[in-house]
Amino acid sequence: MKTPQDLDDLEGRIEAAQAKRPKPVEDNGQGSLLGMAWRLSTELVVAVMVGGALGYGVDYFAKTAPWFMVGGLFLGLATGVRNTFRLAERMDQVAKDAKQASDARQGE
Amino acid sequence: MSNDPMHQFKIEPIIEGRQIGIIDTTFTNSSLWMVLTVIAIVAFLALTARKKLIPGRMQSVGELSYEFVADMVRSSIGPEAMKFFPFVFTLFFFVLFSNILGMNPYGFTTTSHLAVTIALGLFTVGMVVVVGIMKHGLGFFKLFAPAGLPLPMYLIIIPIEIISFLSRPLSLAVRLFANMLAGHVMLKVFAIFIAFLVGKGGIMAAGAIVPILGTTAIIALEFLVAFLQAFVFAILACVYLNDAFHVEH
Repeated sequence: MKTPQDLDDLEGRIEAAQAKRPKPVEDNGQGSLLGMAWRLSTELVVAVMVGGALGYGVDYFAKTAPWFMVGGLFLGLATGVRNTFRLAERMDQVAKDAKQASDARQGE
Repeated sequence: MSNDPMHQFKIEPIIEGRQIGIIDTTFTNSSLWMVLTVIAIVAFLALTARKKLIPGRMQSVGELSYEFVADMVRSSIGPEAMKFFPFVFTLFFFVLFSNILGMNPYGFTTTSHLAVTIALGLFTVGMVVVVGIMKHGLGFFKLFAPAGLPLPMYLIIIPIEIISFLSRPLSLAVRLFANMLAGHVMLKVFAIFIAFLVGKGGIMAAGAIVPILGTTAIIALEFLVAFLQAFVFAILACVYLNDAFHVEH
């Protein structure tokens, strides 16, 4: 026959056992580190490609080669760097929030 | 089987079609695997969609997958966006199942072709534009011009915002395509190495254990990537749809 006393005991033992286990990797809604790396790198590369392609398109129709393409590449680079930094900041923020949440859970 | 690692991505016609305008109606091995993907998804849903109050094993798989995507939509856009749930669900499962089917021996990975992934990306971003204009009218274009900047800054900011917006479908597409392509090439190269070493015989054959372990590890990694990329694709579709709902950010 189980009494509430036993259940409290059991709870204590379960907590002790869980504390011994390695902490599970925090799932912060961003997938793994590999996924984050892919996101950051494509963000940077693709913006340069789009900027260059837009400039090339303008040049093609306005017959001003290569000026718009060069300008487009630079703008694309600026865009890529800005987007990458923004994304990195957001990832940092999410990671920080997740850490705080897990710390708060530990403190309970 | 060819020992060229790129051979697995070759498009081969199965039923010859005709050229109608710019559309080629040839049914290729890629089309075949897309059809198989859709059949697999329908079969999956047919198997898991039950109406018991206490779900069995199959039913809980179906319910978990529903809740997984529903949570994603709700947390990244908001409850008002649940009418886009079917779209995100379809997108997620199409990408996931084509990645997984591509992991089968003799399978063809439709998502390893840029043409397929860019079609998905363009459709997603095209929908963001349509929804945004329907919801906010011309106010949607405020997305390209954040308020409260000194006037000369707009000369730089507007092109940058436009490039940034146009790079979304491409970055969605390139990420998925490059991941699948790179993974499958790597897998094939390691696997060819096994055959090569075994073919040499003697002490070299014993060395084949290294690429065998490597291939096994890569297969596990590839299943992870298959899921992860489907997840990333779907969550980014949500993030972009979020812009259509909340222009002022």
